[in-house]
Amino acid sequence: MTAPATSPATGRAADLLRAYSPIAVTAALLALVPIRYSDSRSMMTVIIIGMVFAAYTIAFNIILGSTGQLFLCTGALAGIGGFTSAILTARHGWPFLPGVILGTLLASAIGGLLSWVAVSRSLDAIFTGVVTLAFSLSYENLVLGKKDLTGGETGLRVKAAADTVLTTRVAPYYVFLGLVVAYLVLYRLIERSHVGWAFRSLRDDEVAAELSGVNVTRYRVYAGLIGSAMLGLAGALFAHHREFIAPTTYAFGAVDVRVLVMLVFGGIGSLLGPVIGAIALTIVDEILVDFAQLRIMLYGIVIVVLFLGFRRGVVPSLESLGRRVRRRA
Amino acid sequence: MTAVFLDGIVLGLQLGLLGVGLTLIYGLGGVLNLSHGQFAVLGAIVIARMTQADMSLWAAVPAGLAAAAVVALAADLTIMRPVYRLQGEARVLLGLLLMLGLGTIIDGYLEWKYPIEALNIRISGDPIPILGVPMRVGSLVASALAVVAGAALFVFLRYTTFGRATRSIIEDEEGARLCGINPSLVRSVIFGLSGALAGLVAVSRAMTSPVTSTAGVSLTILALIVAVVGGLGSVSGAFVAGILLGIVNTVSAFYIGTYITAIVLLAAAALTIVFRPSGILGGGT
Repeated sequence: MTAPATSPATGRAADLLRAYSPIAVTAALLALVPIRYSDSRSMMTVIIIGMVFAAYTIAFNIILGSTGQLFLCTGALAGIGGFTSAILTARHGWPFLPGVILGTLLASAIGGLLSWVAVSRSLDAIFTGVVTLAFSLSYENLVLGKKDLTGGETGLRVKAAADTVLTTRVAPYYVFLGLVVAYLVLYRLIERSHVGWAFRSLRDDEVAAELSGVNVTRYRVYAGLIGSAMLGLAGALFAHHREFIAPTTYAFGAVDVRVLVMLVFGGIGSLLGPVIGAIALTIVDEILVDFAQLRIMLYGIVIVVLFLGFRRGVVPSLESLGRRVRRRA
Repeated sequence: MTAVFLDGIVLGLQLGLLGVGLTLIYGLGGVLNLSHGQFAVLGAIVIARMTQADMSLWAAVPAGLAAAAVVALAADLTIMRPVYRLQGEARVLLGLLLMLGLGTIIDGYLEWKYPIEALNIRISGDPIPILGVPMRVGSLVASALAVVAGAALFVFLRYTTFGRATRSIIEDEEGARLCGINPSLVRSVIFGLSGALAGLVAVSRAMTSPVTSTAGVSLTILALIVAVVGGLGSVSGAFVAGILLGIVNTVSAFYIGTYITAIVLLAAAALTIVFRPSGILGGGT
């Protein structure tokens, strides 16, 4: 593929380097952030939540960006991971790890099921959106109503990870950074595998993909299963880090809208878009922290402006700019 | 049981009117108006503020409806323009997301300026017995308002030239355009009308229970459920679905409990999409 002088082995190494070096650079830069903020507990909370949202957004990117399924239940799937692991550990005495694993698996199964229903009934984006939104709101009502399990509005204390790294001040940041890096690597691995080829072909032209033998149902459901598992895992770890969860922790208004804005801002279907979107929105949130009452309105304005004028996102815009500059050089 | 049933019909008429506004806009331009409930609340808060300033209800209500209509019309003339330039799924997606953003702006504005405002319209009078159940005058006026508005809408869509033009665009936008109908003019008018309808629903609701400044999201969701169960784009479907879901809602809330009821309504919408996407009145898949 590359210049004839390079041997296949070095060509492959260069290829791998090109594929994974953006992740390494991002990880290295993000690892430096706590140097500035490690004294402040409140700032650590802000950047940890930023990392958690980066993880949610990468997961959402696999579902929406890679296979075009409008899942309006990001928060609900993370919440299923969070509440399942919290209930199992807090109410049934399960240890930390099995609780998290079961929460992840349950989120994955439910996301996969939603995906399967949407694909097998060939729902378009809007109907998939409405069905998953209905699921989100049902989940919220269930969490609020099943007080004996979830604690209802007052929430639930989660103590299974007390006295571990997850509940210290600085270390959790690196746990969630590790999760983000793992998700980015997973995203790239999928992108470069035959699954990624299938994703791209069905995103570009579903009919053509189906005609050339791509099993559209199977790959959409794969994306649903993987993305939802990632959401469930991030949600479960977040619950154990916070040591307390309430319905608002994963509410539609608190998670889904933010994740959507982060992904669109960063760039749908790009590797680093979710991370850049999460960082940008976390900074915007911090700037707006003194205008708490205005925040919702400004969020709305950000959504409208983004979708009106900046639908491509930061990463794709920069990439095409870079290509243009290189062509001129 | 009869009392619960009648309450369900009162709610159902309001839900029907709420769903009709959403379904008309979707049918005309493929825009799923996720700020429909916020338009309603906006109208309600304008009316509440004006009546507090000692204005009569007869002046405040038209002003509130006009405010809701103007905001809806303004949305159509500004942020919806790029949406109509797109086609197919891209149009639907962009329209939905922009209206979600607009709804968030209205919600945020109301929460900022009027966090505890509510519209509550009390209509005095002795309860009137209907089928042996004493019904509050407020409920009866609220229902009458919804019925009259629904009937007026029906006459408008069925017998006026403009109404026929509207229906022809819902059927086939390209065909309507070839017959000399200007879809963008019709869309703008109907957008404004749908805003006023949303305000009217808020007025009707305020006669039976207070409409708070934070009710926007839940009204939008109810409108969405009703429009989906009725079949997106079907006006008569939305009305039938509204009445049906109103009855389901009150019966289920009375006998089972409120949070299960919310899930029942949401499940109705999800199951309609999965098994009967064209709605209760439409044909099968």
